[in-house]
Amino acid sequence: MSTTLSDLPPEMRAFTILKTSTTLAPRLGRLTLPGRKALETPHYLGNTSRGAVSHISQDNFQKNTSINGVYVALEDFVEKLPRQTPPLYQLESPKDESPLRDFIALPKDTVLVVGARRVPCIPCPTANTNSALSIYTSVGFRQISAEDYAAASRKVRPDIVVGLADIPYGQPQPGLKRIDKMSDRTEEWTKELVSQKNGLDKTAKAPKASYQIFAPILPLAKELQTWYLDHLIDDMLDDISGLAIYHAQFLADLPEQVQDLPRLSFDPPSSPGALLYQISLGMDIFTIPFITEATDAGISLDFAFPPSRSEVSGGEDAGKKYTLGVDMWQSEHALSVTPLSDNCSCYACTKHHRAYIQHLLSAKEMLGWVLIQIHNHAIMDAFFAGIRESIARGTFGEDKVAFEAFYKPELPEKSGQGPRVRGYQFKSGQNETKKNPAAYKVLNAPEESSSEAPTPNPDAVAGDLEKIGFAETAKS
Amino acid sequence: MPPALSYELLAKCSVTKARAAILHLPHGPVPLPIFMPVATQASLKGLTPEQLEETGCRLCLNNTYHLGLKPGQATLDAIGGAHKFQSWPHNILTVSFQMVSLLKLAKVTEEGVKFLSPHDGTPMLLTPEHSISLQNSIGSDIIMQLDDVIATTSPDLARMEEAMDRSVRWLDRCIKAHKYPERQNLFCIIQGGLDLDLRKRCTKEMVERDTPGIAIGGLSGGEEKAAYCKVVDTCTSLLPEKKPRYVMGVGYPEDLVVSIALGADMFDCVWPTRTARFGNAITSTGVLNLRNASFQNDFNPVEEGCTCVCCRPKEKGGLGITRAYIYHVAAKETAGAHLLTIHNVQYQLNLMKRARHAILEDKYPAFVKDFFGKVYSDKTNFPVWAVEALKGVGVDLLAD
Ligand SMILES: [Zn+2]
Ligand SMILES: [Zn+2]
Repeated sequence: MSTTLSDLPPEMRAFTILKTSTTLAPRLGRLTLPGRKALETPHYLGNTSRGAVSHISQDNFQKNTSINGVYVALEDFVEKLPRQTPPLYQLESPKDESPLRDFIALPKDTVLVVGARRVPCIPCPTANTNSALSIYTSVGFRQISAEDYAAASRKVRPDIVVGLADIPYGQPQPGLKRIDKMSDRTEEWTKELVSQKNGLDKTAKAPKASYQIFAPILPLAKELQTWYLDHLIDDMLDDISGLAIYHAQFLADLPEQVQDLPRLSFDPPSSPGALLYQISLGMDIFTIPFITEATDAGISLDFAFPPSRSEVSGGEDAGKKYTLGVDMWQSEHALSVTPLSDNCSCYACTKHHRAYIQHLLSAKEMLGWVLIQIHNHAIMDAFFAGIRESIARGTFGEDKVAFEAFYKPELPEKSGQGPRVRGYQFKSGQNETKKNPAAYKVLNAPEESSSEAPTPNPDAVAGDLEKIGFAETAKS
Repeated sequence: MPPALSYELLAKCSVTKARAAILHLPHGPVPLPIFMPVATQASLKGLTPEQLEETGCRLCLNNTYHLGLKPGQATLDAIGGAHKFQSWPHNILTVSFQMVSLLKLAKVTEEGVKFLSPHDGTPMLLTPEHSISLQNSIGSDIIMQLDDVIATTSPDLARMEEAMDRSVRWLDRCIKAHKYPERQNLFCIIQGGLDLDLRKRCTKEMVERDTPGIAIGGLSGGEEKAAYCKVVDTCTSLLPEKKPRYVMGVGYPEDLVVSIALGADMFDCVWPTRTARFGNAITSTGVLNLRNASFQNDFNPVEEGCTCVCCRPKEKGGLGITRAYIYHVAAKETAGAHLLTIHNVQYQLNLMKRARHAILEDKYPAFVKDFFGKVYSDKTNFPVWAVEALKGVGVDLLAD
């Protein structure tokens, strides 16, 4: 029946694998979408909140970052549902252009990926139903039906739509019945997305549906989602351009027929080391909440891949591991006119110095977080570029070992206060080590405890958005 | 000692007292009249210096005492002043103690101002000498004298007179303490509350000290607008023509337009930038609160024709941000506040630019009428204080 992707000539495929060896190995790829800058993989997507990368206004995004793809959550735009049509759906854009892209003023050549939920998402108290996914908007919990989600995708026309996945966030570990439902619903919802897109293509009058669909792969062992995967491969393979992976370990179980598809991780890595681990398993594209979490904590990332050789040389400090980030709240920076990182060429490092940034944080001036956020993204750009070069050289394995030997495993502890957290934002804190559901294996696998699943944050009140983030120190 | 500025008068309105000029300062020329955004703690509401620069701003404010407390004089000295500290290549003006609320907690003696640190509550004494020393360390292009400020609404005329006389004596101490008159311009501050005789006396004393520029202080503290206008009008009539005149703490668009007609050149106010965070957009038809649900489906720019990067369409290199998007992010994402701050600053600067252009063409009265006509759809809504103040300088807003 369907041809596999590898039968297509490479120029017709959006995703080209440039280098890989076996399964469960790092791979080098290129995602090419019409009109967009090619995304060399492994790479990451800028994680947005209400259409903007936190702290970075759209003009700064264009001028002072090199982010060439972003992830946008539809739940950030649909608080008016179901009583009113969300404003975003009412924006008309010329021809095949994306109203969402226009609305959030995203540059024309930046890859735009849409999913239903933020990363990380706040678990909803109401369960998903057969036809709808529970979401959390800035005004509270809502549901969006698979049908509405598919219609929204047609309307807002991103480059890539991530299919809905029935994952019971914040719920106890599902039993077998619930697991069957997860697989059934996800299959139905993916079908709905595919058929609405295809229906659109057949309507001559309607604009061409140029978006691609990434199908979710559930955080379940292979044998628990066989039914769904079989249907995906037998009935929808032609319509699926990529996979959304909710647990990295599942990469080991991917069926042969979907091996060549790009893999977008929704298993947020907690550290650069965790990210390297996923890459070593063959993950291609990431959403990385720890970038903004570090920024909010006033931590400027400070690492490179592979670690700089000159610094590796032993001496007295042999055996001492380097920190992955610098806590800019510390007063030791108050007189330092050095950049955040020595070799960084970002706007913050070339135009400003630690003394100013330390001052901005301690004065609770928003610019402090703006500058650190710009820098932290630049560090990630260089980190991924280093990873790609390393894979191309064939030295990723040893470079990863060197990285682990050189740096401490986790980002530094937070000391200072962050900016105010809004209700719809996942709040770092008690549950932060486990934002992602555990990989549900066979029922009652002993090491998977339901207590590790995140619960709704009691502090995350949606109705208090009227309040203003930072105290004014004084009038001038 | 020649001042570190030169005031180049370009045109005077033939009807009102409005003036257009270029003020040449150590970090470049600035056009007058001018609105100066307030970057209290060496940062303007999340904007990078480049974003501020792009609005056209070439002169912004820092607060002497905030910088004195944080990062502190030692840091400023070590880094080489506020320009280097905040990477701002253009001009800076440092205001002193315009904190009336804080002053309630302060005790003023001939020696200086005693108050508790707003940061940690430690008692501090601030003398005119210390104020100048701090501003010398900051390296601002325009520095302000320490003055004895009393709320204009205070009924205590004796205290008002004492404050006025003390401000004059403190100016002498400031002039004496000032280490770098060749690269920093010290402005005096005229006090005297709402009492026009005190103001006249103070103006005379201050003018005799021949500072490079002159500020009118103690206003914008909740006094009647009509009284405010009388003070500005009285002072400017006694001031030398070839010096810049700075009215402190003023910044609502209509206040600016009227104050220019009364002969003032320089203004500062936190309101345009502070209000952006609440979703308030300043436009030529008034202030729009973009958090109002009526804007949720409004896909027009914040202000049609505005050239700020937020409003400018994509085809012209801008972002093409809509009111609906600001509604979407207002008070939720700081990036939304940054965008609206950019717009509001640029609105204020552009208002000054248009006023200046009108003065150069000797069409300022028409400009003033047009301005009020757009903000208020109906003449009966024109504020009485503005009508009266403008009548005093030859403009009848109500005439056709
Ligand atoms: Zn940097
Ligand atoms: Zn604008």
